[in-house]
Amino acid sequence: MQKYGRELSVAMVLVALLLVLAVVAPAFYEPQPLLSRLAREAPTLVVACGVALVMVTRQIDISIGSVFALCGVCAGSLAAAGWPLVAVFGVTVLIGATLGAVNGALVAGLRLPSIVVTLATMVILREGLRWKQQGAFINLPDAWQWFGLSQRSGQITLIVCSVALLAVLAWASRNLAGGRFLYAVGSNAEAARLAGLRPQWVTLAVFVFMGALAAWAALLNIVQSPQVDPKSGTGLELKAIAAAVVGGVAVSGGRGNLWGVFVAVLLLACINPALTYLHVEAYWEKAIQGAVILLAVIFDGLRNRRQTT
Amino acid sequence: MSKPEASHRHKVGALLFRHETILLLVLLAEWFYFNAVGRKFGTLDNTFDIMRHSAEIGLLALVMTPIILTGGIDLSVGSLLGLCAILFGKLWRDAGLPLPLAAACTLLIGLLAGGLNAVLIARLRLPALIVTLGTYSLFRGFAEAITRGVDTFTNFPDSFLALGQQHFAGLPTQVWFFLAVAVGIWLLVHRTTFGRSLRAIGFAPEGARYAGLAVERRLAQAYILAGIVAALAAIIYTARLGQAKADAGTGYELFAITAVVLGGTSIFGGVGSVHGTLLGVAAIAVLNNGLVHARQPREMAGMLTGALLLAALSASALPKLLAKFRPLRHSAAPPSSP
Amino acid sequence: MKRLFSLALCASLALLSACNKSPESGSSTGSGAKKLTIALMPKSKGNAYFISCKAGADEAAKDLGVELLFDGPTEPDPAKQNEIIENWITLGVDVIAAACENKEGISTALKKAREKGIKVVTYDSDANPNSRDFFINQATPQGIAQTLMDEAARLTDSEGEFAIITASLTAANMNEWRKNIEARLAEKYPKMKLVDTKPCDDLKDKAQAEATNLLSANPNLKLIMAICSPAVPGAAEAVKQAGKTGAVKVIGLGLPSENRKYVREGVTQSVVLWKTKDLGYLTIKAAADLANGKLKPGAKEFDAGKLGTLKIEGDSIVLGQPFIFNDSNIDQFDF
Repeated sequence: MQKYGRELSVAMVLVALLLVLAVVAPAFYEPQPLLSRLAREAPTLVVACGVALVMVTRQIDISIGSVFALCGVCAGSLAAAGWPLVAVFGVTVLIGATLGAVNGALVAGLRLPSIVVTLATMVILREGLRWKQQGAFINLPDAWQWFGLSQRSGQITLIVCSVALLAVLAWASRNLAGGRFLYAVGSNAEAARLAGLRPQWVTLAVFVFMGALAAWAALLNIVQSPQVDPKSGTGLELKAIAAAVVGGVAVSGGRGNLWGVFVAVLLLACINPALTYLHVEAYWEKAIQGAVILLAVIFDGLRNRRQTT
Repeated sequence: MSKPEASHRHKVGALLFRHETILLLVLLAEWFYFNAVGRKFGTLDNTFDIMRHSAEIGLLALVMTPIILTGGIDLSVGSLLGLCAILFGKLWRDAGLPLPLAAACTLLIGLLAGGLNAVLIARLRLPALIVTLGTYSLFRGFAEAITRGVDTFTNFPDSFLALGQQHFAGLPTQVWFFLAVAVGIWLLVHRTTFGRSLRAIGFAPEGARYAGLAVERRLAQAYILAGIVAALAAIIYTARLGQAKADAGTGYELFAITAVVLGGTSIFGGVGSVHGTLLGVAAIAVLNNGLVHARQPREMAGMLTGALLLAALSASALPKLLAKFRPLRHSAAPPSSP
Repeated sequence: MKRLFSLALCASLALLSACNKSPESGSSTGSGAKKLTIALMPKSKGNAYFISCKAGADEAAKDLGVELLFDGPTEPDPAKQNEIIENWITLGVDVIAAACENKEGISTALKKAREKGIKVVTYDSDANPNSRDFFINQATPQGIAQTLMDEAARLTDSEGEFAIITASLTAANMNEWRKNIEARLAEKYPKMKLVDTKPCDDLKDKAQAEATNLLSANPNLKLIMAICSPAVPGAAEAVKQAGKTGAVKVIGLGLPSENRKYVREGVTQSVVLWKTKDLGYLTIKAAADLANGKLKPGAKEFDAGKLGTLKIEGDSIVLGQPFIFNDSNIDQFDF
């Protein structure tokens, strides 16, 4: 129980918030908007899972927003050019994985610090995309929205897909050797190396995986509306990292599980709508988000102090 | 310390020297290239432009250096600039304080805000990345909440605007402030025990603690200093622009971090220099300015800065990497960490 | 030792630049043979609206034989526009035409440009009047706000709740429009109520999310007014997905190309804008004529070439009234 202290406290805050909303603003639970909101958060969840795994290995990736945007634009362009769905999905994930591999090669191969590498790639990709696209939307073919399904089925499919992915990753990170490698490398890379692991390959793999997940998230995003906005993904890295941290993933690596991230994504995703339903002015949004992140981290710090003293 | 440590230091010393020289060469190359391509690039007016445009961001980069030397980071300096700017405006316009008093209060606010980071990072030992990620949103959020996003502060008296827009003794006024802070921080980092203790903390926090250093106090001082300088930068920014808005300073922290790392300071801490940061700021500022004169699109500046950062990092990483292929003798590579 | 070396190099750089000092900066007294340089600045680069203005500007530049520089901030930081203008001052352009994100802030730089002899016009959003020669106005902020508010009233029979989606809470021109919308609302439509204003950070997806919440949190909502151009299709998609097409009206300021689908489907009723290409064309024509003396302060009319003769109100050259794109005419436009 104590081991999951952080995840449980976040869950409790989420439940408390949901209860308040149930009493004061029951319209929050209206099915269609709720479904829309959850579907909207599916890409964030996917990306947050990815960045959580990256952080477990004691790295970080702040280029995910730019990769997300670029993959969305690529997918949109291919779709608009008439490529079939499966091909577009495949190529886009490949593009994301390749971009991730670039990050991974620099971090694992040249031993460069991941925060600086991904800062550089973030800027390069973002500016390059902006230069190329100049803000123009891309119109998707009609059959693309919701994978061609009805809106409700499409939304449910998206939500189920992303939660299933989360569940698989959560299980795999604990039970598969590959998953455990991440925690090993994150706790102590040197010990992992001595134990026979290859930390550099693990690091490369996790960045490639992150890129692929960012691409996948972009695909989940573009099927939700008939146009692709090249600016989408702005601020996504902030959201994802905040969710990972609030969810208990340690920046110093080796700690954290994806279910905590799941709860944190839900919590952070509720804050903004809650403001709307509670008729709170919009200009409090950033301050409240900052406060939530700080409180989560402070709680953690105090708990750790109590344990170690 | 023991022999491997000394040889490690020697290698690090050599590395540092190489990195700064490379950066200086890059800066010179930029200068000569843009001078050749841009008609008005090498003029005094343009040099003043470059100085004025990079004064505030340069201040943030300067004060980020001691923090990164300790192995920490501060993502909140840009947001703090915005918050201090509007509070400065509010104190002057709504509370009716005379400008010098408002400025003093703003510096105090910067100190307190830096103090918040200091308490959480130094005292509670929370990870700097996450704390400052939180304060990054919190400070900007307060700025937006106080102004409702809408309110701006303008119509400052000309005597105040001279700080950001006029010259004093041959240089733009704010450059004198910048130089004062630059010299101050350089001395602090390179010539005092304070600076040496920052490096020690960056190298090995636990070791530093056992060696008797007041780790918490030093860390706290570094973050509080950042808060004060961010407030100063906010005042200069307001004078330069003639307007204080809640979104002032958006994105400045990334520029600052880029400049510091470009200048050779290791993001892991322990290694770095203030003059490196100054060169980093100069390199990026000249690049941004020069590309306008070379009639290139603005996006190119961002892309080239990113590429430059990667190139610089890779260049300094190569000797370390090549050393690894020698028979394993000295300490292993530092653990990869954000 | 190496620090002395660096210091020496920096000092020599400073010396180099001092030697290179050229006395003139900003020559608007160009001889007839020299090509005019006009510098055009959008509010931000990568903004489809300003790209469509630029299309008109390019055309004018070609027609008139002037050199056109186009640059703008890619960061939201308010100081960036000033920095670009100062760069242009040093570069020595002949005219600066700027769409101003921050009225007071940018006036600082524009005033400086005028002091150096560079002509200054503003377009789309104005600076302080004493910092520019003319303002090329597609429509006044009051005009835009009134058109939006009146259109909203028309679609809701002047009664009911509505909400606004804006770009960010700090966007200066949006705030100007909001102020005027609220003024018009108070003045003419007492039975209508503005229940909420939400920022979308210029992101279509966020606008969609905000609209979804607004629709659900305010069950009596009758109209969403999206004054930020990516928000119009975003809000429309939200209304469509909520199954409230027709029940909740959507209007906004946006590009016809981005909203065509929704207008045809009846989700979006009206898109207010103006002929952006004409605005761009007019801006460059006015800038060029200002530089070569054909357009003088105090003039009451302006011959805008292929755009006809336009009225000048005070120091504002007005393109015309805002244009309402709706089902009946949206297919005629391709921007």
